Amino acid sequence: MSSLVVDGREIALDKDGFLVDLSDWNEAVAEALARREELELEDEHREVLRLLREFYAEFQLSPATRPLIKYTALKLGPEKGNSMHLNRLFKGTPAKLAAKLAGLPKPSNCL
Amino acid sequence: MARSMLIISRQAPWAGPSAREALDIVLAGGAFELPLGLLFLDDGVFQLTKAQQAASLEQKDLTANLQALPLFGIDSLFVARSSLTERNLDESSLALPVEILDDAGLSTLINRYDHVITI
Amino acid sequence: MATLHLLSHSPFSDGRFNSCLPLLGDTDALLLAGDATYALTAGTKPATELEQLPEQVALFALEEDVQARALGMLPTRVQLLDYAGFVELTCRYERINSWL
Repeated sequence: MSSLVVDGREIALDKDGFLVDLSDWNEAVAEALARREELELEDEHREVLRLLREFYAEFQLSPATRPLIKYTALKLGPEKGNSMHLNRLFKGTPAKLAAKLAGLPKPSNCL
Repeated sequence: MARSMLIISRQAPWAGPSAREALDIVLAGGAFELPLGLLFLDDGVFQLTKAQQAASLEQKDLTANLQALPLFGIDSLFVARSSLTERNLDESSLALPVEILDDAGLSTLINRYDHVITI
Repeated sequence: MATLHLLSHSPFSDGRFNSCLPLLGDTDALLLAGDATYALTAGTKPATELEQLPEQVALFALEEDVQARALGMLPTRVQLLDYAGFVELTCRYERINSWL
């Protein structure tokens, strides 16, 4: 178990770098998590993270890759809801990495 | 050609891990793009009723999870009419679109899949 | 295209028997094992329901489970199997539905 310090607050992470307490998440935490992954968040990352949080609020689970692509296509259009765009933004593992940065639990069906 | 599978889920959402296990099989199979069907039978139909309050039992909201099935590529959702009728439920009581089948339709359905798992 | 349904719970304390019977199609079969063989008890409602299944539905029971329970007169349509017969039977049907 490791932790992250954001704005003077210590935030617990599990062994894979996911938030232990999902309510710890905010935009600043997302930035800090991204830096741990050596990723600089741009607006196009942030809109996917917001979308993932909407997905989680609606369905109470983290999407695997295919549902993430479908949901993104549904909400942001096909030019963003495709594996190329999402792979490019999230280093080839969009379901896992974007879920982590969005403060969601690790997708259980990410096989 | 991938082998098709029908999962029959017949436990209420709060009756232990069975309903969750059935859903996990479906989600995992969906990730492999297996042709899957999910049939709600007996108390399994209670998984579909609207406005359940999972948080009051400090559990995850199974019915919310079920609504994600179409996004996971699972569109073949079925419900036994007799199970609904026994429980004074009908289509309007259900939180997601399903195909309602009578007994004859159910035996035809089961015989359409390569594998059947009842949980 | 037939299915072999496998029951192992008593019909007197569990709903699986009642749920399974209506799902049996004409070419399907039912195998009773363990406490599900209590359904064969003469003079009971489950035994009567088994007698009333469509004629084409084959009915099997595991012999050792039947013998262990001293069930007396069995419905004439039931065919008793040992484990070798059980294995052979599972190969004859396209799919097995175990009511776990």
